[in-house]
Parts: sequence; structure tokens; C-alpha cells
Amino acid sequence: MNPKDLRSFHCLFPAGKVLCAEAELAAYSSDAGARGLRPGAVVLADCAEDVRQAVLFCRQRHIPYVARGAGTNLSGGCAPLSAAVVISLARMDRILAVHAFERFAVVEPGVVNLKLQDELAKTGHYYAPDPASLRVSTLGGNIAENAGGPRCLKYGVTTDHVRSVEAVMPDASLQVFSREDAGPDLMSLLVGSEGTLGIVVKAWLDILPLPQAVRTILAGFPSVEAAVGCVSSIIAAGILPRALEAMDRATVAAVEAYRPAGYPDCEAVLLIELDGAPQALGREAKAVEKLCREHRAQEILSAAADSERDRLWEGRRGAYAACARLAPNVLVEDGVVPRQKLGEIVRRMREIAVRRQITASLVFHAGDGNIHPNIPYDERNAEEALRVRAAGQEMLEACVQLGGSLSGEHGIGTQKREAMHRLHSPRALRLLRDLKKALDPEDLANPGKMFPAESPAQEDLIAPSRSLSLAAQQLRDRVRSCAAQAKPMSIVGSGSREKILSSKEVLISTVGLDQILDWDKENYTVTVETGISVQALRQSLAAQNFHLRLPDGRGTLGGVLACKACPALRGDVLGMRILLADGEVVDLGGKVVKNVAGYDVPRLLLGSWGTLAVILDVTLKLYSVSQEVQLMGEPKPFAAGPWQKRIKEAFDSKNIFNPYFERYDIP
Amino acid sequence: MSEPLERLSTDLGERSSYDAASQCCRCGYCEQACPTYAATGSESRSARGRNQLVRLLMEGRLTQPSSSQDALETCLLCGACTTACYARVPTADIVLEGRRLLGQPRKLSRFLTRLMNDHRGLFMVLLKAAYLAKRLGLSLLARPFLRIVGLPGLAVADAHVRQTPWVFLREKLARRPLAADPRWLYFAPCGPDLLFPRVGEATVSVLETLHGPGNFMSNDCCGLLAYNYGDVEDARALARRNIARFEAAGAMGPVVGDCSSCVAFLKSYPQLFLEDPAWKARAERFVAAVQDVPEILAQADLSAVKDLGPAVCHDSCRACHGQGLKEQGQEAMKKLAGSSYRRLPESDVCCGGAGAFAFRQPTLSDDIIRRKVGRIASTGAAVVAASSTSCLLQLAEGLRKYYPECRVVHLSELAAQSLAPERQGQGA
Repeated sequence: MNPKDLRSFHCLFPAGKVLCAEAELAAYSSDAGARGLRPGAVVLADCAEDVRQAVLFCRQRHIPYVARGAGTNLSGGCAPLSAAVVISLARMDRILAVHAFERFAVVEPGVVNLKLQDELAKTGHYYAPDPASLRVSTLGGNIAENAGGPRCLKYGVTTDHVRSVEAVMPDASLQVFSREDAGPDLMSLLVGSEGTLGIVVKAWLDILPLPQAVRTILAGFPSVEAAVGCVSSIIAAGILPRALEAMDRATVAAVEAYRPAGYPDCEAVLLIELDGAPQALGREAKAVEKLCREHRAQEILSAAADSERDRLWEGRRGAYAACARLAPNVLVEDGVVPRQKLGEIVRRMREIAVRRQITASLVFHAGDGNIHPNIPYDERNAEEALRVRAAGQEMLEACVQLGGSLSGEHGIGTQKREAMHRLHSPRALRLLRDLKKALDPEDLANPGKMFPAESPAQEDLIAPSRSLSLAAQQLRDRVRSCAAQAKPMSIVGSGSREKILSSKEVLISTVGLDQILDWDKENYTVTVETGISVQALRQSLAAQNFHLRLPDGRGTLGGVLACKACPALRGDVLGMRILLADGEVVDLGGKVVKNVAGYDVPRLLLGSWGTLAVILDVTLKLYSVSQEVQLMGEPKPFAAGPWQKRIKEAFDSKNIFNPYFERYDIP
Repeated sequence: MSEPLERLSTDLGERSSYDAASQCCRCGYCEQACPTYAATGSESRSARGRNQLVRLLMEGRLTQPSSSQDALETCLLCGACTTACYARVPTADIVLEGRRLLGQPRKLSRFLTRLMNDHRGLFMVLLKAAYLAKRLGLSLLARPFLRIVGLPGLAVADAHVRQTPWVFLREKLARRPLAADPRWLYFAPCGPDLLFPRVGEATVSVLETLHGPGNFMSNDCCGLLAYNYGDVEDARALARRNIARFEAAGAMGPVVGDCSSCVAFLKSYPQLFLEDPAWKARAERFVAAVQDVPEILAQADLSAVKDLGPAVCHDSCRACHGQGLKEQGQEAMKKLAGSSYRRLPESDVCCGGAGAFAFRQPTLSDDIIRRKVGRIASTGAAVVAASSTSCLLQLAEGLRKYYPECRVVHLSELAAQSLAPERQGQGA
């Protein structure tokens, strides 16, 4: 930043809020995951207006900016890549309100997760997302990274607990986005966007009543496969533990050497935690212990008292600690695979570790297929550091090859951006870039994060691909030919909701796209074409005792999604295949329940009413017991706000998909 | 410039200062434990930031090394970060190494160290003259002058120190008859000696009641002043003298001091002699005997002090973080306060006293004490106990300003009351 700019920046804020001494800047050059460059200035924001002023300043002078909470993220997300302005949110740490009766809390972004938990505990409540860093990481950071944690198996990741956010957008305006907004779900787009779209300055978060009782069970297994098999059986039995954590032998050995926790000597340890009403809990615990024995568990310990449960958790909590003592640095990698592939990924990761001559202890959130290899090393040894990075990269690629993703909860940042083209096709990446451009045309909000520097080629893609069904191919071809002539199209399902057809538009209906493409009974996911009727889908699934959080109703599955007719379904959308307005097909998300590799486009499309893309198929989370949810009354097409229009521009600049969308414009 | 230590004794074994600083992997788990980060939200005023900066200093990667001065000077050296750190990175020692690299001005501390230890008679006369001046109100006039000559810290110190004894502790203890077969040795830290003789007297009376006859060690300053603000070599020389005194005393029991900062430093003596095996071994034998007051009291049979009112214990940093005495202070307090004991939230967070910190960083120190007093007030306490001199000073000042309903005492004072209620007054 040139001295003149720096002087004007200083003038914007009271003394003490702007840092610009060399040492002060150096302290902001890195986060827990990566080293970046020294920023040009740091502002310690105290309120939303400070943030807005800083963004406005950067916009006027074309200076990049990076929002930062506690700086504990593990992917380099808040390490500046240029002499940017760092906007520190650490001092915006007030809990503004706790509405226990309405079950939500209002917070500033700098509130440390644990501080909220402590505050909520006073009224018998808690906030479900519990990343390992919860003692220090901020809620703003958790939102930016869409953080998970052990409890997210049962309760979902951060995005499932955010009601609304207020954000300073790249044009320096203050906007509120809510999951209940009509139209494309921009709030979902902001959550997990790693500070590249907007800076959250206030958030409304769901809170839950503390469980009546909790039971923790620890079991040792003769192999990782046996442990994973047990996990699948537990879920198939209709039991959803609040945590299902696993550790491999190397991790247990490291922990026992550091601070003995008395864990059994075996290939894999499972830590299963159940919560609920005491009676049901007792039954579930018995069932879990039985399943453990069926999967050849050698030793089973069970605890109900807090102190006892704490003791069982000690080894799991000490896993990172033990690694952090082995060497100056630890690469905490973060991959995710469909649950039943955990055994396979462990085998591959071990093979990579041997080949690359590194030691990796494996810790995983077994319930959702999220695996963390912890690799100790010394960053001062350049050769070793390179080897470790390369091994980490290979491990992630192995996850992608197995149908998983690059990150379950740490984000992409700078550490994994070069791997993005292994997961996403060039067209998919272009779509993500277009979204970034639509909201931040000058690329000033945390630039360089999430996207690979080089433009990728189709051959780089290693994620398993599925072929299109015949019906989908036909649909695609029709859209392509219309797109070539810029002919407006009317995207509909069975037409059970809105019938706004004029003779000018070509009818593109998803009816006929009604196949179940992949029903993964171990992973509890289904990939299904969206033209299928809700009734037909529910019946097929129920016949084998699988359930959706989707009540019976008319119309197609695609219609329910596009109209956001069933809000509960939002939490269960894992992936989508969509047909863009240029006739290209793009896969987003996948079969894993945690995925933070790129913007959450599938959720963005909820409520888009066919104006952005045609949802060809969707991957949904399944349940082993029937779920009670309600449909919304009768959703109406939305009146587009200015930000939704920008999204439309990114998807369909010629306005050929459901062009009547303009009709609902706010005058 | 003071020579750096170069080698540190860490939880992971002996390391070069550079390796010790590099062990910080920037995970940030220390952030919330750091009182100056909590107060300012500034990364360079966090433990992680400071470790990174010292590392950059050592690697010669700061073009303006002096820009790190604020980060290093604002460190309380409380050690809460080390407790929070999985690898127990010794940030306080690393920060001191950084300060030595920067070549901190240390004339005043050198002068004081020399005066105190090599010319103690003169020092005591001068100090009493200063105390007299203070009582006459002359120091009030001197404050602007001190600020002008670049010693604003002394002016603040003058404002904070409200007690100026006529007779120093060591003068009183010199009158005690020597025990032939001492069961304990009392190490008189400078605070009880020069500011709070009543604390030292209480400790000695507690030790007599609990352990039988014992002697005052006639010790020199522990060397912490020199280690933190002056020359490592001066600290080493004092350590040698104290170790030699201990060996000559031939006592069978513990060496007890009643300022946790001082005792924590005594316990770290071996680190001063990592390159000198003979003295390191002697230092280790000495350390094996050293105990802090909370340790002694946690094990002692104590009854509750009568009519105390709601009472809490502030864990002095150098006891809980410096020596790992996490629960001893609270355990002692539970016995001493009985049913009027209250658990102080954030009891192990620094009060902002931290040696000369309160005088050198008055604004930041005030931010920190306000939070501390807020926590004390939340319990409705009428008494707060601590075990370190600078906590006694800082808490007294903070309570006077923000919560005068509460008074501060040393744990020893309560213990003395508990053991011999008829002999003891109510303390300050």
C-alpha cells in the first residue's frame, strides 16, 4: 500500500485501530494452515461500520482485502497473498441476544465458539457445530469455512445452523440474507465461501436444548474395516450417534506415549457417543454394544457420568496434541469419502505415507467419512516440507478418486486450490468463478483463494464420472439447440405449481427423468433424477425401509427443490447434476455428507424456480427411520433482489431459462 | 547488550531458543489464554504472534527489528499460553530472548540489582529515604520529573505503592534466634521484604506452626529482576550465591518463598546453567527443595478463618502457569475460607501486575485488571487472596479503583490467622 493510501486509511479510523508497523503486519501474514505475505495494513474492526468503511476504502482504491477471525483455519484461507488490507473481526465479539424460547442466538463474528457454548449452557442450550478449534475459533470463521466437528454427524455442519447472516458485500453495502428468503438461497452461498464473497458481521444461529443424557462407548477393533463395518451397522439400525470418532493404531500409540488414556491395543478405536432421553439411550447403548461385538470388537468401555465420559474422550482429544509434540509443525489434512470407503482410503493413505517416507496418524469422523491424516514435520526442512505437502495432495486425490471430496470441514484456501481441478470439471470451476465475479466483479474480497491459479483441462479431472441417462441426454440436446439460437425456454417439472407459459418459450420438462441412478444402501444416500414424482420416490425407498425428510405431496422432486417447498430437505442435499443455460452439464457436491470444496451451489439452487439451471439429478441423504417433516404452504415465485439478479447473470446472462422470472421483479 | 540464554529447558527437553520458538506451529490454541490478546484483539499481542516475531528476529527477517518492541514489551510473561499449548512452547522465555536480541534498555535494572545485592545497606537507607519522601508527599512532586527524565514507570509505581514499611522484613528476621536443626528455610523475596513485611512474618509463623523450627536464608534477590529486565549473567551470579547459601544452611526441609514469581524463578535455576553441568546439578538439588506457599498450604491441615466474608483466590500466574500449581491455591483457599469460599471465574488469568508491567504498560494493565476485578465482583467477594507480590499490588490498586468493597491478602496471612487466630490481626 502506498504511503498516501495508508495515511488516508489511518484517517478513517480512531487511533489504535489501524496497525501498520512491520512486526504487527508480519503477525497477520499467516494463519494456522499457511504462510502468506505481509498485509499492507490491518484494521481491528469494532463494528459493522468499521468493516464497511474498510471495504469501501479498498473498493475505491482497488486494494484487496482479507477478513480474519482468530486465524485458526487450516487451509490458508486468511493468509493474505498480497499487500492487502486485513479486516480483523476479533474484537467484534459480543453475543447480542439469546432467544432460548425461539431457539436462536444473535452473535457478532468475533465471538469464540466456546464463549457462545458457555453462554448458552446457562439456559440449558448449546450450539451444535463443534470444530476441534472451538476453544479459540470464531463463529465468523466457522461460518466462512462451514466448519463441522464430531457432532455434525447427527446435527449437521455450520450451514445447517445458520438462519440468517448480515454481511458487508464487495460493493460495501450491508445485506441480510436468510435461508427463508424467497428465491435462490444466497445465504447458503455465503456460508463456506471463505471470505471471497462477503464479510459476515452478524449472524442468527440455531440453538438446541442440551440433551437429557449422554452415553459414551469406546470399542477397539481388529481392523479399520471392522470398525467401519460397525459404523455402517449402527446407522443402518436407525441409531444416529451424536459422535462417531475413530483413530488408527498409529494415533493411539502416539497418544498413549504422550499421555496414557488407557485405550485398547488394537488396529482401530471407535468412540461412539449417544444422546437423548435416558430410557431410549439405555436401549440404544445396548444395541450399539451388541453391534460392536458382532463386528469383533475386542474391548468395550461404556460411560455415562461426565467425568467418566471425559476420560474416554481424553485419548481422542489428545490425538492432535500428541502429534504437535512430535515435530514443530503438523499438517492436518482433511479429506472425505463415502463412509464405506473408509477402509480403502486408510489403506491408500498408509501406502502413500510409506512411499513418501512420512508418518501419518489417522483420525476420522467415521460417521460421515471425514478423515484427518496428521503428519508431523519441520517446515524449516524444505525438502521434508515438500514431501509432506505432496503426500497430503496425493491423499486428497485418493479421496476424490473414491468419490469423495478435497475437504470435509477445513476449506480450500491456498492449500488445496491447485487440487480443485481434480474434483471439478473446467466448466464447473468456471461456474464457481462466474459466481465470484458476479458478486465481486473487481476480485478484491480475499482474492486467490479457493480457485487454482492455472486454468485447468478436462483431463485433470479424476473424480469418478457418471454417464447421462438417455432422457437426460435428450433434454441436454434440446437445451443445447435452443441455447445456440438463444431461444427462451420454460423449465418445468410436472407443471403442478406455477403454469406460466407463453407461446414464445420452448417447453423443457424434466418429466421422464425418473430413474434412481445410485442407491447406496451402506452410505445412506440416493442419487435420483429430478423428474421422478415425490410419491414414486418415497414408495420405492420405503419399500426397503429407507426414508427422506420429504413428506408426501404432488409434483416432481425437482419441483420441490426448485421451489424450496420443503425447507427440511435443504440439510440433506449433498450433490446435484445441473444443466446450464449453455447446454453444458456440471456435477457439484457428491455423495459425502460434508463437503466444503467450493461454493455451495446445490443449496443456492434451492428456490431458484428453474431460472438458473435445470436440476437433472440430486443426491440426497437417507434415513433408516421415517422422518416427520412438513411441506411449506404454497411457495410462490420470488421477487428477485439485486444480488439474486447478479446470480442470474452468472448462470444465464442471456436470460433464456424461465425468462418470466423478471415478471416478479420488485417495482 | 545482554547475552541471550541461547538454550532453553522446555517441556520437550533442552532446545536452542530458535528451535523452541520454531516449535510454535501457529495453531492458535493459545490465543484465548493470552490476556493481552483478549484485551486488544491484536495478533502481534498474542502468544502465537510473539513466537512468530521472535523467530523472524532470529532469522533476521525483519527489516525494522525495533517494530517488534511493542509485541515483546506488552507480554505479561504470565505463561498462560504455555499451559494452553500442546507442545508447551515456553513463550515467556522466548519473549525474553527476543527482548535481549533487541537490546532492551536495562540501565535502571542493572543499577538496582547491583545496589540491592552488593550494597544492601546503602540500598535500604536510600529506599527508606524514598519512603519518607513518599510519606511527606514529596514523591507526588517528583512524579512529573520522573516522567520527564524518561522513567514514567517509576511515577506509576509510586502511585501504586501505598505501603511503605519503616522496618524491612530482613531486619525483623535478623532478630530471630537461629535454629540449630532447621526443618525449613525461608527465602525472603523482595516484595515481602521491602513492601509487605507482614506477609513474610505470616509465612514464617505458618512454617513454624506446621514444620517446627527453621531459619531465614539471608538470601540475595532471586535474580528475576535481572533475568527479566537486565543481564542474564547477573541473574546467574545471584543464583550461584543463593544455591551456595542453601547448601551451607544444611536444612532438611523445604526452602519456602512467599512470592510466586520469585519461587517460580528459583525453580527455573537449572535453565541458567544448561552449559555448566556442575552448577546445573547443584541447581537441580536446590530446586528439589524449593516450595511455594500454595503447595505448602494445600497439604496442610487448616481450619477456616472466622468472619472472613465471601472469599476467593486469584491464582498468581507464576504459581499456576510458572510452576504448574493449578489447583493448590484453590485447595488452600477452600480450607481457609470454609463455607465462604467462592470459585473465582478465570482465576488463572493474569491480573496485569506482572512485575514491572503495571508500571511500564499502565493502559493495557488497566484493561486487564478491570476484567479481573469484574470477575472478582461477580462472586461478591469481600476478600481475594493471591501469592505474588505484584498481584498484591495490582489487585489492591484495581480493587481500590473499581471495587473497594473487597480487600486483598496473601494466602500466608490467612493461613497464619487460621493457625494462630489470637496472634494475628486482620491484615491489610
